[in-house]
Amino acid sequence: MSNIDRRTLVKGSLAAMMAGAAFSRGAFAQTSEPILLGVSGPLTGPNAQYGTQWKQGFDLALDEIMAAGGINGRKLAYQFEDSQSDPRQSVAIAQKFVSDPRIVMELGDFSSPASMAASPIYQRGGLVQFGFTNSHPDFTKGGDFMWSTSVSQADEQPLLAAYAVKRLGLKKLAVLHLNTDWGRTSRDYFVKAAKEYGAEIAVTEGYIAEERDFRSTLVRVRDASPDGLILISYYSDGALIARQARQVGLKQVMCAASSVYSPKFIELGGEAVEDVHVGTRYFPEDTRPEVQKFIAGFKKKYNGQEPDAFNAYSYDAMNMAAAVVKIGGTDRKAIRDAFTKVKDVPSVIFGAATFDVATRRVKGAMNAELVVRKGQFALWDGKPT
Amino acid sequence: MSSWLDYTINGLIVGNVYALVAVGLALIFGVSRLINFAQGSIYLVGAYIGWVAVVQLHTPLPLTIIVVAVAAAIVGLIIERFGLRPLQNSVRIAPLLATIGISFVLDQLVMLTFSPNPRALPSQLPDVRFQVGGGTIGPLDLLIAGVGLTSALLLFVFLRYSKLGWAVRAASQDRDAAMQMGVDVNRVNQAVFGIAAALGGVSGMLVGMYYNQIDTAMSLQATLKGVVAEVVGGAGNVPGAVIGSLLLGLVESYGVAVFGTSYRNLFAFLLLVVVLVLRPNGLFASARQAPPEPLTGTFIAPSRPVRIPRWALAVAAAGFAVLPFFPVSFYVLQTLINAWLLGMLALSLTLVAGTMGQVSLGHAALLAIGAYTSALLSLTLNVPAGLAIIGGGLMSAALGTALISPSFRLRGHYVSIATLAIGEIVSLVILNWESVTRGPIGISGIPPLSLFGYDLISPTSIYWFSFAVMVVLALLQGRLLTSHLGRSFRAIRDDDIAARAYGLSLNRYKSLAFIFGGFAAGVSGGIAAHLYSYINHETFNTQQSILALTVVILGGLGNVVGAILGAVALVGLPEVFRIAAEYRILIYGIVLLLLVRFRPQGLLGTI
Repeated sequence: MSNIDRRTLVKGSLAAMMAGAAFSRGAFAQTSEPILLGVSGPLTGPNAQYGTQWKQGFDLALDEIMAAGGINGRKLAYQFEDSQSDPRQSVAIAQKFVSDPRIVMELGDFSSPASMAASPIYQRGGLVQFGFTNSHPDFTKGGDFMWSTSVSQADEQPLLAAYAVKRLGLKKLAVLHLNTDWGRTSRDYFVKAAKEYGAEIAVTEGYIAEERDFRSTLVRVRDASPDGLILISYYSDGALIARQARQVGLKQVMCAASSVYSPKFIELGGEAVEDVHVGTRYFPEDTRPEVQKFIAGFKKKYNGQEPDAFNAYSYDAMNMAAAVVKIGGTDRKAIRDAFTKVKDVPSVIFGAATFDVATRRVKGAMNAELVVRKGQFALWDGKPT
Repeated sequence: MSSWLDYTINGLIVGNVYALVAVGLALIFGVSRLINFAQGSIYLVGAYIGWVAVVQLHTPLPLTIIVVAVAAAIVGLIIERFGLRPLQNSVRIAPLLATIGISFVLDQLVMLTFSPNPRALPSQLPDVRFQVGGGTIGPLDLLIAGVGLTSALLLFVFLRYSKLGWAVRAASQDRDAAMQMGVDVNRVNQAVFGIAAALGGVSGMLVGMYYNQIDTAMSLQATLKGVVAEVVGGAGNVPGAVIGSLLLGLVESYGVAVFGTSYRNLFAFLLLVVVLVLRPNGLFASARQAPPEPLTGTFIAPSRPVRIPRWALAVAAAGFAVLPFFPVSFYVLQTLINAWLLGMLALSLTLVAGTMGQVSLGHAALLAIGAYTSALLSLTLNVPAGLAIIGGGLMSAALGTALISPSFRLRGHYVSIATLAIGEIVSLVILNWESVTRGPIGISGIPPLSLFGYDLISPTSIYWFSFAVMVVLALLQGRLLTSHLGRSFRAIRDDDIAARAYGLSLNRYKSLAFIFGGFAAGVSGGIAAHLYSYINHETFNTQQSILALTVVILGGLGNVVGAILGAVALVGLPEVFRIAAEYRILIYGIVLLLLVRFRPQGLLGTI
C-alpha cells in the first residue's frame, strides 16, 4: 500500500512539475502580454462625460497602433480606473498603479486637484504621470515624471486675443470665464495679450461650473457696453451663455476659446452660436493627413459621430504614449527619458509634436480661426460679423 | 435704473425655475417631514424622458408634458413604495439617507442609459420674444411661470378643499391621530409622492427646454437650490415655497448686480442662513404650526449599541498598527490612509450629529478650513507641517464654531440645512477671497508631512502617522463620552427642553461639541493638504459632507468605533467595486439603501 502511495505521490508530483513547466511557459509567453498604460480619470460623477470621451479617443488610437503592428510587435492596452476626478481616489489609484509592475506609465487625471494630489506619489514611485488635460501652470512643476500635452494657456490665449483684437477689430472687450484654475489662468493670459494689442477690457466675470443662468451677468456685460464678448468656457456653458446673450438682446460679436470646439456647442447653442468666432487647435477641413485620418477614423468607428476637442486630446495622448513607449521600452525610467527624445510625433493638435524639456510641455499649438456659419464650423473668410 | 428692472425680471424668471423644484419638495416635507434629496433626480429623469418624447417620438408639447408627468409620477410611486414605506417606523434620519441613496441610483441609471454627454432638448414653443425693459421674455419663460404658479394654486386648492387634500393635511399635522381617524396614511403618502414627482419631472423637462440642454449632473444643483428656496419659504408650505423661490432668484440677481457673477451662490446661501437665524421656521410658516421637530432626539434611533470588548478593540488596533510589516501593497495602505482621514472627519461629525444631535451637512467646510490654514501656515510662515496641522485643527475649531453658532437655536432638519449652507458659503469664500486663498488657482507645492524635522513621505509612515492621530482622537472622544460632559451632551440631544430646565446651557455645550469636533475635522483636512500637496476650493466639496454623514449613520450615531468602522467600509466599498467601473456608484447606492433598510440604527448602534 505504502508503495502504491509513494508511486501515486511521485506521479502526482511529476504531474505537478509538468503543470509547473506549462505554467512557466505561460509566464514566458507573457512577454506577448500587452504593454499596459494606467488611466486615472472620471467615469462616474459630475465629470463622467470627459472620461467617456477619453475612451473614444484612446480606443481609436489603439486600433490604429495595432493595425500598424503594435509596439515593436507587442500589443498596447490601457487599464482605466474611475477616479470621479476626486483627489482621494486618484491618490489611491496612483498607489495602485505605482505598485503594479505591469503599468509602464500613467495618463490623467482630468482635473487639477485630482491630478496634482496624485503627482507626489507618481514622482516618488518613478512612474510617468502624463496629464494631457492639465493646463494648471504648476502641474509639470510637480517633478520630472510629470509631462503634459495640455496646451499651455500662455501659448493659446494670445492667439485668441490676436484673432479678436487684430483680425476682428474689437476694441472694448467683456470676458466671461469659468472660475476654475484653467479659466482663471486663461483669462489672465488673454487679458494681458489683448491689452498689448491695444484693446480695453471693459469687464471680466467669473462663473462657477454649475452655473446655468447668466441673464444677470449679461446685464452687467451690457452695462459695460463692450463691442465684443470673449467666452473662456467649455462647450456646454459656452452654448448657454451665447443663447442667453442673444435672448437678452446682446448683439455683440462673440469669440470663444478652443475648448468650445465640439459639435455639441452647435447642437446646444442652436441659432445663438451662429457667427461665433472660435480660435481652435484643429478643424475638420484641415488638410493635414493626421487630422483627416483622425476624423475619418473617428466617424467610421463611432457611427458618424463628429469628434471634439476632448476626443482629439485623448487620441493624441495615446499616440504620444505609444511613441514614447516605442523608444523607452517598458522600463519606467527609460520611458521618462524617452519623453526628452521623441521628436515630431504626428498629432492632431500640434502638427508635429515635440516636448520642451524645460517646461515638460509641448510648445506651439496649431491655431485655426473658425467661425460658425449655417450651423457648422467653417474657416473664417476674413469678413467680420 | 433700467438695469434694475432687468435684474428684477431676471431674478423672477430664475426664481420661477427654482419654484418648480421647491414646490415638490415642500409638498413632501409637508406630509412626511422629509427633505427629499431624490427630488433633483426625479427632475433629471423627467428631463431625459422629455428628451426621448421630443427628440425620438416627436410628441407635441401638451402630450410631452403628460408623458413626462405620468412617467415621473410612476417613478415617484416606486420610490415611495419600495424605498421609503419600509422605513416608516424607523428613525427620521433613515428615510433622509434613503433618499440620498435613491438619488445615487437614479442619477447613475440615467447616466448609464443616456451616457454622460449633455444633450440638446429643443423647446417646442415658438421662439418669439417680447421686449421688457432692456431684455426680452419668451413664451417658455411664461410657461414656466405659469406652471409654477398654477401648480402652487392647484395644490393649495387641493389641500384645502378636496377630501384627499384634507387627509394629506391631517396626516401632516399628526400622523397617528389621522390614522386613528381612519385616514389611509399610505394612500396619502402615495398621492403626495406621485404629485410631487410629476411636478419634479415636468420641471426638469421645462428647465431642460429653457436652457436647451440637459446633462446627468443637473440633479444635485437642482436639489440644493430647491431645498434653499423651500426652507426660506417655510418648509412644507407650498405657496411659501413659490415665494421663497422668487425671493432666492431676486437675491441672487441683485447679488450679481452689485458684486459680480462669482458671488451669485454666496448670496443664495447667505439668504438662507439669515432667514433661518431670524425666522427659524422660514418666512411663511404659519404661527399656529407646532415647531416641526419638538425634540432634537427624534433623529436618534433607540437601540442597544453593540458592545465590543476592549481587548477586541486593542487587538484590532494592534493588527492595523503592524499591518505595514506584512506584504501589503501601497495601494491598500493608501486606501486605509483615506479611511483614517475620513475616520477623523466621522469622529467629528458623530460627536456633533450623534452625541449632540446637531446633524451637519456642511462638514467638508471644516476640512477645508483646516487644510487651508495648515497649508498657508507652512507655506507662508514656514511652520513645520506637524505644528501647522495642529494650527489647522485649532482654526477649524474656532472658525467652525463661530460660523455655526448662529444656528444653535435651530432644530432637526433646519440644523442640517443651515450647515449645508455654511459649507457652501465657506467654499465660495475660499473661491473669492483671492488675496488669502489664491482663489480658483488653489494652493500648490504644500510641503509634505513632517514630524520633528523628519519628512514623512513613504506611504508606510503616512499610514502610521494618520492612524496614530486618529486613534488618539478616538481615545479622547471615547473618554469624553463616558464623562459627565458626554452625558450632558446626550441629555441635550434626547430632550433639550428637559436639559435646559435642569440648568444646562445649550449654547455653551453645543459650542464645546463643535470645538472638539472642529478640531478633529481640521486635523484631518490639514493632513490631507500635506498629503496631496495641492488643494483648491473643490477639493473638499458637498459630496464629502454627505459621505461623512453616511459613514456616521452607517456606523451608528455617536458611536466612536462605529464611525471608524463606517469610514473603513465606505472608503473600502467603492475600491472593492472598482472593477465594476461605471457601475460602481450604482452598486454603492444600492448597498447604502439595503443598509438603511435593514439596519437603520447603524452597524454598531447609537450610543
